[in-house]
Amino acid sequence: MQRKTHNLAYRRVAFAALTLGLAAPAGIPVRQILAAPKDRVLAKAAPPAPQSPILSLPDAFGPGQEDDFIPQPSAGPRQFYFTRAAYTGYYRFRDFRSWSVDFPKADRQFLMGLRRLTNLDAYELENPVRLTDPEIGKYPFLYTVEVGYMALTEGEVEGLGRYLHAGGFLVVDDFWGTMEWENFQAQFQRILPGYPIVDIPLTHPIFNCFYDVKEIVQVPNVGQGMQGGPTWESDGYYPEVKGIFDEQGRLMVVINWNTDLGDAWEWAENPYYPLRFSTYAYQMGVNFIIYAMSH
Amino acid sequence: MPSWFESLFEFLFKYRPLLYDRGELSLGVSWPVVVAGVAGVAIAVPTLLRYRAIQGKASARDRLVLTGLRVAILLLVVFCLFRPSLVLSTVVPQRSFVGILLDDSRSMQIADVGGKARGAFIQETFGPEGSALAEALSEKFMLRFFRFSDSADRLSDPGSLGFAGPSTHLARALERSVSELSNVPLAGIVLVSDGADNSTDAISDTLLDLQARKVPVHTVGLGRERFTRDIEVSRVEAPRTVLEGSSLVVDVTLSQRGFDGETVRLDVEDDGRIVNSRDVTLTGEAEATTVRVHFTVPSPGARVFRFKVAVAEGEMVTQNNSREQLIEVEDRREKILYFEGEPRFELKFIRRAVTEDENLQLVCLQRTAEGKFLRLDVDDAEELASGFPKTREELFRYRGIVLGSIEASYFTHDQLRMIADFVSQRGGGLLVLGGRLSFSEGGYAGTPVEEVLPVVLEAVDISPETEEVSAPGFFASLVVEPTPFGTTHPVTQFGSDLESSAERFKTLPPLSTLNDVRSVKPGATTLLEGSGDGISDQPILVFQRYGRGKAIALTVNDSWQWQMHHDIPLEDLTHELFWRRLLRWLVSYVPDQVAVTTDKSRYAPGESVVLTAEVDDDRFLKVNNAQVQATVRAPSGDVVERPMEWTVDKDGEYRAGFLPGEKGIFEVAVQAEREGALLGTATSYMEIEDLDDEYFQAEMRAPLLSRIANETGGGFYRPETVSRLPEDMSYTEGGATVRERRDLWDMPALFLLMVGLVSAEWSYRKYRGLA
Repeated sequence: MQRKTHNLAYRRVAFAALTLGLAAPAGIPVRQILAAPKDRVLAKAAPPAPQSPILSLPDAFGPGQEDDFIPQPSAGPRQFYFTRAAYTGYYRFRDFRSWSVDFPKADRQFLMGLRRLTNLDAYELENPVRLTDPEIGKYPFLYTVEVGYMALTEGEVEGLGRYLHAGGFLVVDDFWGTMEWENFQAQFQRILPGYPIVDIPLTHPIFNCFYDVKEIVQVPNVGQGMQGGPTWESDGYYPEVKGIFDEQGRLMVVINWNTDLGDAWEWAENPYYPLRFSTYAYQMGVNFIIYAMSH
Repeated sequence: MPSWFESLFEFLFKYRPLLYDRGELSLGVSWPVVVAGVAGVAIAVPTLLRYRAIQGKASARDRLVLTGLRVAILLLVVFCLFRPSLVLSTVVPQRSFVGILLDDSRSMQIADVGGKARGAFIQETFGPEGSALAEALSEKFMLRFFRFSDSADRLSDPGSLGFAGPSTHLARALERSVSELSNVPLAGIVLVSDGADNSTDAISDTLLDLQARKVPVHTVGLGRERFTRDIEVSRVEAPRTVLEGSSLVVDVTLSQRGFDGETVRLDVEDDGRIVNSRDVTLTGEAEATTVRVHFTVPSPGARVFRFKVAVAEGEMVTQNNSREQLIEVEDRREKILYFEGEPRFELKFIRRAVTEDENLQLVCLQRTAEGKFLRLDVDDAEELASGFPKTREELFRYRGIVLGSIEASYFTHDQLRMIADFVSQRGGGLLVLGGRLSFSEGGYAGTPVEEVLPVVLEAVDISPETEEVSAPGFFASLVVEPTPFGTTHPVTQFGSDLESSAERFKTLPPLSTLNDVRSVKPGATTLLEGSGDGISDQPILVFQRYGRGKAIALTVNDSWQWQMHHDIPLEDLTHELFWRRLLRWLVSYVPDQVAVTTDKSRYAPGESVVLTAEVDDDRFLKVNNAQVQATVRAPSGDVVERPMEWTVDKDGEYRAGFLPGEKGIFEVAVQAEREGALLGTATSYMEIEDLDDEYFQAEMRAPLLSRIANETGGGFYRPETVSRLPEDMSYTEGGATVRERRDLWDMPALFLLMVGLVSAEWSYRKYRGLA
């Protein structure tokens, strides 16, 4: 059982030691992963080259867990890939890999639910793609977490900005408190300058295109959820769902602040993790995807 | 016939060939001649026998030749004695009537004969000063003059013709004049015209009638048969109605004389403003050059577009360099039902592409889970509340259907039948998109929808347990290219000309298909095809007409890559344009429940207009007992109401006529009701304007005029040969005639033949030394 502690002092030091403008890391070609899914699942990812900070697939599985969640992927190109944006984060948090929080278990478990609840032809496994990858246009739905620790390179800013203007949809999840919000806001001012971040009313189609969501629930991380105590972290007391709209009034980015849907997907099978959080998380996730594929 | 031949004939045979044509040959045998013949035989036979008895130094052959020659001479004399003659009917002078039809239409103003107008001949010949021809005619006949253009009237003063008639109807003119002169002895009709007939009726019926009445028509053709220099906008093919914001595609045909290989500029004007220009190179004289012009229509309403070519120097006719066309631009919102069987990005991006198009309403029914649907852009909460429409009334409210990746087993058999009837009976458009559950992979083989589709569906195995197709999934990544037809079709043309359009497609990213579509049906046309992954020429965009409507198949399943791919710049609008055009094309020409048409869009003043309405009910079956009312609004604001009557011979068709009293654009609104319930309304426009039809195809039509003359027993003349007309006219069967017998025995030909035979006999004897 792990408890993620986000100590305020710790974070201040981390930001003080922040290095901006990290070089674009060379990485493992993530497309190779898609080509041979079965092999990739069983084999661990190759270790990164030592000289520059790179993005690598972390050990998301705990000991003894690697064989548990392996659905049989079906062959052929699919209509939907749950794509996670692999971006450059601050060094201090997981060695630049804040994008990979809850990866890949959250992705896979969410996909299991998605495939059962809808008739979407979704690829069963995770699909991480770099923001600088030109092939990102093949996946018009993108998911990203821990944006409080986002430190995008210029190439990533341009890639994501272009992706969103062309018609891509981004779901932002799992960041808490004022300080992370400010980092997020600063990053998105670079990506979509001049686009305001506004509240999304509960009457918006994203709340009722598949499930009727009547209230916004704060979904805690797994530790706090299992303990049954307060659900908030940092100073993020109230959950909010905000969005960035384009000139035609279409939603481009949906932002889940002060809530952690990814953890709810990841630990939905855990009997101590309250069902109502997982239910809400799955409902919101399905709604996001149905909305993204029709609007 | 060349005139030297005619002169020679006349010299040899005493009369012109025309008289032999009209008359009959006969022998005037009488009893003195018979007596002379018998006496001749009585003398000749013993003489011959005596001669045979005498042997001389002549050989048998000589005897034969000489005997033959002498017998021939004798026979010739006997023939002349038998009085060969030509029997002719000639008209009694001043007892018969002749109708002279003078062409009073505008084409007679064309000055192509030595700088003089065609009508000048009429005025010189039949005008107040008189002429030899007029005198000769009036000596023999009583003349009755008629003027004709689109109708015929009696004319008292031939010199008063104004040549302002808007069109020429030869058949009507002939019928009218014949019926006016039916109670007098009619010797014939003289038709003085250039033959530039504008009517669409066949003239054969009129000619048969004239043949039966034995009235010969003599035609005098005025004007040149071929202009030396002229450019003409012969035809403009444009749709009568178009949706606002659409790109209009119009085919303009130019014909020319004397401008071979030159380049001219074709302008398209809308209300005086040039909306498009094209440079056209005129090809050989035998072919007309057709050019396709594109332009967008800005705002709704009835607009008159003018297609013109600048007048080049030396042109003989300048009024045929422009044509006008009335086109209605409609501002309506076409409803299309898009049924998607599973969540796909294709739906998202198609919606995005057409969301700003105010003339398209894409109603989306998206199946998100088993039995769960998401409805988008519906008019109210009840629309499609129970999923895909189950009744024809509900389905036929849409003008187009788009089927996404939805398997055939979702529909009941009746719904599949309804979709097929939507195309064949309602006349709507069906677009089927490629996907995991489309075409054969969706189990459509053997269903009514398969008949409608323009592609051939291979038979597939359906596994009995899952009721899904058990074949392995097909996948191919294809580079899309237009076919030669596709490079000119408005939906797939991305560029100002054919080459740039094909080049543009090469820069677009490849698309993928999940459907193994290999061949198209015989009547279908392919616009786009793809190659890649070892496949070549897989049909991608195919369409065919089916029944009253059309069916289109798009076999790729991710056209949104043309929007999202990293090679496509953000400003690029190819994807949006493609989908807007495709969906507009899908609903183009889809009929409504009530439709009103007129046979032309432009009429001349004074021409009566026939309105035709077609009325269907909401199942698009014809209705014969509706109350249909037409309201005509004139440009000045006057409103006229006319009830429309069912034309009994055709189901669902109603007709009314009216005579417009002024010039300008008229609006016709038709409303149809049945038992108090409104079936629908329709609007149409027409323009009343002085038409310039007369100046188009205004060359003298010698074949037509010759045909009229030959079939009725008359002759075809030109101004140079018309002096023979009075004499020729007198040899006719019609009118008050007498039969004349003219002797032929004194033909120079017979005399020459006699002289020839005698000298031949004499020279043979001299040659043989027989003295």
